[in-house]
Amino acid sequence: MTSPETKVRSLDDPSVFVDTPATIYDAIPPYPPRTEREAEFYTLREGEMLINIGPQHPSTHGVLRVVLKIDGERIVDLDPVLGYLHRGVEKICENSDWHMVISHCDPLEYIASMFSEYVPVLAAEKLLDVTVPRRAEYIRVLACELNRISSHALFMGWLALDLGGITPILYGFLERDEIVEMLAALTGQRLLFNYMRIGGVNGDLNHEFMSRLGDWMSHALRHIEDSMTLINSNEIFVGRTRGLGRIDRQTALRMCLSGPPLRATGIPYDVRRAHPYSVYPELEFEIPTREEGDSYARYLLHLDEIKQSIHIIDQVLHRLPDGPVMAKLPRLLRPRPGRAWAAIESPRGQYGVYAMSDGTDQPFRLRIHDPSFFNLQAVGLLTPGHLIADIMAIMASLDPIMGGVDK
Amino acid sequence: MTIVSRPWQRLSPAGRVLLPLAAVAGGLGVVFLGGVSSGILPNLWSWVYEALNDNVPLLRFIVAATAVLLFTVPTAFVIIFLEMKVIALQNLRLGPNRQGPWGVLASTLHGFKVLAKEDFTPTGADVPVFTLAPVVVYLASVMSFLVIPFAPGLFAQDMNLALLYFFAVGGLGVVGLMMAGWSSFNKYSLLGALRAAAQIISYEIPLTLSVVGVILLAGTLSLNTIVHQQAGTFLDWYVFRQPLAFVIFFIAATAEGNRTPFDLTEADSEIVAGFATEYSGMRFGFFFFAEYVNVFILSALTVTLFLGGWNAPLDLTPVWQALGAHPGAIDLSGLGVGLLIAVLVVPPILTVLLALPFWMLFTRLRFWQALVIGFLCFNALAGAAVLIWAAFSFDAVMGLLWFLGKTYVFVVIFVWMRATLPRVRIDQLMGFAWKWLLPASLANLFVTALAILIIAQVRG
Repeated sequence: MTSPETKVRSLDDPSVFVDTPATIYDAIPPYPPRTEREAEFYTLREGEMLINIGPQHPSTHGVLRVVLKIDGERIVDLDPVLGYLHRGVEKICENSDWHMVISHCDPLEYIASMFSEYVPVLAAEKLLDVTVPRRAEYIRVLACELNRISSHALFMGWLALDLGGITPILYGFLERDEIVEMLAALTGQRLLFNYMRIGGVNGDLNHEFMSRLGDWMSHALRHIEDSMTLINSNEIFVGRTRGLGRIDRQTALRMCLSGPPLRATGIPYDVRRAHPYSVYPELEFEIPTREEGDSYARYLLHLDEIKQSIHIIDQVLHRLPDGPVMAKLPRLLRPRPGRAWAAIESPRGQYGVYAMSDGTDQPFRLRIHDPSFFNLQAVGLLTPGHLIADIMAIMASLDPIMGGVDK
Repeated sequence: MTIVSRPWQRLSPAGRVLLPLAAVAGGLGVVFLGGVSSGILPNLWSWVYEALNDNVPLLRFIVAATAVLLFTVPTAFVIIFLEMKVIALQNLRLGPNRQGPWGVLASTLHGFKVLAKEDFTPTGADVPVFTLAPVVVYLASVMSFLVIPFAPGLFAQDMNLALLYFFAVGGLGVVGLMMAGWSSFNKYSLLGALRAAAQIISYEIPLTLSVVGVILLAGTLSLNTIVHQQAGTFLDWYVFRQPLAFVIFFIAATAEGNRTPFDLTEADSEIVAGFATEYSGMRFGFFFFAEYVNVFILSALTVTLFLGGWNAPLDLTPVWQALGAHPGAIDLSGLGVGLLIAVLVVPPILTVLLALPFWMLFTRLRFWQALVIGFLCFNALAGAAVLIWAAFSFDAVMGLLWFLGKTYVFVVIFVWMRATLPRVRIDQLMGFAWKWLLPASLANLFVTALAILIIAQVRG
């Protein structure tokens, strides 16, 4: 080991000293390996090279960085580098009161933020022992299922976009835009709704929302099925996704997968049925599963889930009771000291919050369990041995949202 | 310099254009008068005239090559605009609609934009190779243009080895792509270049083999002759005698032009922009242009080989004759070299002449605005003249129209595929070339050769 005087500052990170001045020819990372795994990964054998996918790359769905070790086109190994979107949401939540938690958690799953604001609300309600009015529960289900469809429609376009098809994403965005517009009429926001409240929702259904919803429901299923025929049985699309990134049930359970990646392996685990919350026990819907566990199965599963969601919305609209949309609650919330675990089925899987309260108006600890993080881990298991083009297909089919992964 | 610069600054912009022009004209007039009076100029003129007349084939080639080179730019603009608009319509978007009517100027403005952008060379790049690569790629595309017969008598060069030349020059493009990928000092570029090399070399084999059937039928490699042999009705087109070859050729041409679903070399969701990742400004513009010129060329070659080139689907000559038009009504070739000089001299003079009344009548118009109007008027007049001329000699113009019409159908098909299909994977791509296209093209070749032999035997 040489003394620090003979070392020079790394070009990549000035706080790190390296033996030789870093040049553009140096391998990444510019610092000496810190762990055995890093040493093994960054040692290149004959014919191998490292290539950096991300943090700014067209198909990493946010700011994920993956260092690939490739041999020609074939991926030998990969090293994910997380944290580019880390904002410390859990810690911020500890310093804000229970109402503020809603808007802090909102952008975590920014494609379907209705879910990421629902969970802390659910946890707080468990700690407060509030009974939410039934109309509010139905409105929550309605908003969540709409958001699930908008997220799934976008997913299917994304998968096609990562495989090189440029049209399906715009068809997906058409549906998403209609839903987002109607949710904007309901909540006032297009992306980060900030609609859920502890004890209910922010506002009752209004006329614009209902008329937009009615318009959309009249053609929703037909439009989605129509636009997805573009890729459903496309020979190239099927050839690239069928049998790709196959997970078996044991591995899926071991990797803590949830949501569509888990159900695509044939395990009908859906929090809406397994650990029912809200008014889901009263609603009639199926949990679609597939047996194959590959990218194509995950893709088809999303289409099935859209159909089930439309079915749920139909029932909600028929059963929607009258009444208030907010429970009577004091302005300053001081939940009992204790712990609560709340989980819901987000479009990406089981979205949970483990909240600890110490009796003050702020959560003592708020641990967010984001399904994207667990689903994303499967990339490391699935991609080695495949080609570079396949990592995009696998990653897109697992559908991670980096806002939730990095928190 | 004050004595010059002060009056110069007092001049209006129009004067700053006109005064130097007047000075140049005066100088030229003095030279002309001196030359004529001393007898040098008539001698020089006759020498130039004779030299041009002696070397008409060379002159024709230079003019044709220049015209082809200039033709590529509007072609690329048109195809880029077409692609933006057609894909937008398929995506249920509006597409470009602000730059000019229907956004027709969008691609032209894109061209100006890339011209104005910074021309960036990355650290560690191999500068000479990096600079040359776009030129090689673009020239390889443009050189392929030389042998394409646009209409009867309208071609840059009639080679008897035109097809061979086409594939040889088209193969040069991959050298440029490799140069770009290697010299960029970027791993994405390198991957893209290696993909390009593997893909284009693999697909060149079925591409060439599928054409061999046509060559056997036509008995020549000259594209002009091949087109002439497809004259008659549309049933004489080679697509009906070589349907399999047509399909193979079109698929392989898609791969050759790096178009979706075979656009792996610039797969934006995998390797960012492939070989063009590190390019910016007009260097990137050259790659961009070359791609669209390639689309046009491959469509044109498909049309030439399989769809009768500039032949009309049905013989329409009786219809034209009934309308009073017949080929060769006006023969401009009698003007000889004078035609070339007229083409050089007439446009600027007419532009200025047409601009003058606008300038004088409308005081608010700046001189350059009047010039633009004059230029547009001249173009309208020229277009009308060309149309009138075309009405009397349908042969070339109708041929060109048929050719361009058929070619743009294929261009739209290329665009259509881009909007519809996802991208294949590299192993599927190579497997498809070697396992399916190559055996199919060999089988096609075998069957064609056998059929020709049998027919020759039967006919004795």
